[in-house]
Amino acid sequence: MTKLPLDGIRVADFSWFGAGPIGAQTLATFGAEVVRIESEKHIDSLRVVHPFALNPDGTFKSGYNVSGYFNNFNAGKLSITLDMNSEKGQEIGHRIVEKSDVFLTNFTPRVIEKWNLGYEKLAAINPRIIAAYAPMQGMEGPNRDFLGFGAVLTPVTGISFMSGHSHRPPIGVGTNYPDYVINPGHTVAAILAALRYRNRTGKGQCVELPQLESVVATLGTAVANYLANGTVEGRTGNRHPVYAPHGAFRCADDAESIGSTDRWVATACRDDAEWRALCRALGKAEVANDARFATAVARKANEDALETLLGEWVRAQRAETVMETLQAAGVPAGVVENAQDMLDRDEHLKARGYYVYLDHPETGRSAYDGPAMRLSETPGVLRAPAPLLGEHTMDVCERILGMSTDEVADLLAEGVLA
Amino acid sequence: MADRALEGLRVVEFADETASYCGRLLADLGADVVKVEPPGGGRERHMPPFYRDQQSPDTSIAFWVHNTSKKSVVLDLETAGGRATARTLALTADVIIEDNPVGWMAERGLGFDELRREKPALVYTSVTGFGQTGPHAGYVYTDIVGQAMGGIMTLAGEASDPPVEIYGNQANVSASIQAAQGTLLAVLSADQSGRGQLVDVSAQEALSMSQETAMQTWDFQKKNRTRTGSRGLLPVDLPAMGVHEALDGHVMAYVLSPAGAGFPALIDWMRERGMAADLDDEAYAKICNELNMGWITRLMSDPAAAQEALPRVQHISDTVAAFFRTMTAVECYEEGQGRRLLIGIVSTPKTLSEDRQLRARHWFTQFEAEFLGAVVEFPGAPYRLSETPVVIQRPPRLGEHTEAILGALAKQTEVAR
Repeated sequence: MTKLPLDGIRVADFSWFGAGPIGAQTLATFGAEVVRIESEKHIDSLRVVHPFALNPDGTFKSGYNVSGYFNNFNAGKLSITLDMNSEKGQEIGHRIVEKSDVFLTNFTPRVIEKWNLGYEKLAAINPRIIAAYAPMQGMEGPNRDFLGFGAVLTPVTGISFMSGHSHRPPIGVGTNYPDYVINPGHTVAAILAALRYRNRTGKGQCVELPQLESVVATLGTAVANYLANGTVEGRTGNRHPVYAPHGAFRCADDAESIGSTDRWVATACRDDAEWRALCRALGKAEVANDARFATAVARKANEDALETLLGEWVRAQRAETVMETLQAAGVPAGVVENAQDMLDRDEHLKARGYYVYLDHPETGRSAYDGPAMRLSETPGVLRAPAPLLGEHTMDVCERILGMSTDEVADLLAEGVLA
Repeated sequence: MADRALEGLRVVEFADETASYCGRLLADLGADVVKVEPPGGGRERHMPPFYRDQQSPDTSIAFWVHNTSKKSVVLDLETAGGRATARTLALTADVIIEDNPVGWMAERGLGFDELRREKPALVYTSVTGFGQTGPHAGYVYTDIVGQAMGGIMTLAGEASDPPVEIYGNQANVSASIQAAQGTLLAVLSADQSGRGQLVDVSAQEALSMSQETAMQTWDFQKKNRTRTGSRGLLPVDLPAMGVHEALDGHVMAYVLSPAGAGFPALIDWMRERGMAADLDDEAYAKICNELNMGWITRLMSDPAAAQEALPRVQHISDTVAAFFRTMTAVECYEEGQGRRLLIGIVSTPKTLSEDRQLRARHWFTQFEAEFLGAVVEFPGAPYRLSETPVVIQRPPRLGEHTEAILGALAKQTEVAR
């Protein structure tokens, strides 16, 4: 078997919810052994929220192991339950860190302190450790103890203010968007850079990723524009500062699109050539030369009329047909896909095998997001579905920590491994 | 001088909007990133906003935020000479980053297979809308198309509005972040094995994880998640849940969620300010004391009780909304959080620039733009590494390093001969 980039690396994953676990999952996918430390006394809420797998009779399965929300972020990990509120639990936590290369957490600074997982402590135990902390606002600072999770982070980072239609209040974007790519991805990038440094120098280090800072870094234009020019950009919906048209346009309804029968196509013209190509492709070549739309500046000035017209052109057509017609003419266009499209109807994603189906003892065969970075020689692999809560407690204690069966039995009886 | 995490890593970038942020992440971590640009610069160089409205390829803030710490070389890849130089330059790299249409680089003698033949350890990262293979590999891509086909637009906005994109070219940003991880994984692998590889990133796939639970909901339950706007997944409008107006902006409240001090603590605050109105009357006080998500769930399962209680719940919502409207957004946020109430400010570029946490942590950085006679204040980095600091340096002017880099390249080539 091909050696994966992180073969031989062990990760102590003391994270929960989205941002931490997704990052650790990426490390697992590329070869690391990831030990996810959990506790039934302090359960990761994603284990107990929707969507749940169904029983054959259509009722929801229950328990800690049947949430697709949790499972999709934890494939290929080992799960140990450990009560970090107990002294013995902390001692075992430290032993896991001692045997690890990377430590990762997105707990709050308060919890980090309570569990005795600060960097100084960890570095004393294991000077080679790369310890990554991803708290909401930072380990220090006047707002470090502010409450928050993805749903609060989206407005606090500025995404909500900047996104959405201009006639609406800043309602957000429908998901806890920063949790899924920006924060876990930045975290992993920093960890990998630190690993490269350690490979060259032998030195571990502390990585701090305040989720607020990580997200605002990606909204740089708006913030830098204010800093430089004093300009506050507002919500502009789907409109672009230069490109026009640039938006989502309603097409014919599709009864087979379950519970989401309205169908839309997103398209954009980045220059006049694309605009002329769009007109020709939709059988409206004569409109290309209409003075109201002939140049980018004119199209921006007459954008309401432009959008109305384009909306009329596509309203009766299938979204897929519009996409294919425009793409054939070299114009950026794509169906506004829902999950049904992504999993079942998008032939391209299927051909690339993006989604991975794994057999899970409680949910049955179910879909996971595959790695979004495709490495030709060392392709990542989801080696196992998400672990059951505490599935590997014995394995971690015996194989990694070298405990005897009796020792483990005592800890179980004392409630430390819970 | 402090060590840099990616010191000694040479990156040559043939990228515009889609992958430039990937190059920036590596450059700020210490890699030597040379950006090869066409004469006149690519699309990003011409994108507003501009610094102090000075429109030029060197003053686009949109370009700046994705291109700090790099060097710029202008080469015309439509000429044989330009392509030959680009190839020589590319072969000095440990990593290539590119975001051109599939096949475009190969047509110019700069494709993965050709370069790898010369340099087996080369890591070659291609970032495109749909990846290097598959029936849509040749599809024309721009950010909004990625957001549409990546499954996140369908979830954003009110059901009665068109699906809406997330600000900030997030398909490009997500693809770049995935690419940075993939590139570093491949670099670690090449360090060990001496073998490079192709890192293929599709913006569509890069966003899939951001569907949150939509993918799994379809997989398990054959239901599509749809956009539900301001109410989110709540069955009815609830007090202190969702977006609220403040004096000068908005806040987002989740006071009924299990985290934090809970609804009675909000009523205490309102009472102190003389804004509790009639919420202490028996008809409301009982609800206020019990109000949380569990209570709502139970209430909604009993239609008769719900019919009686919901008008009162609405009155409580209105009273809370009136309270928030008496304060600035920053006051609602900082004072509310001080009381352990789950309230987030809807930050604006202005409030972010003044945010006390970001300021106390010295998050913002500066670089000198001597050609503008200005010191530019600039957003900081996503992370801090204790031993190998992230350093954000001025983005390059178009072609700023052409002479120096091509000169050095010519010298090396001569020596090699």
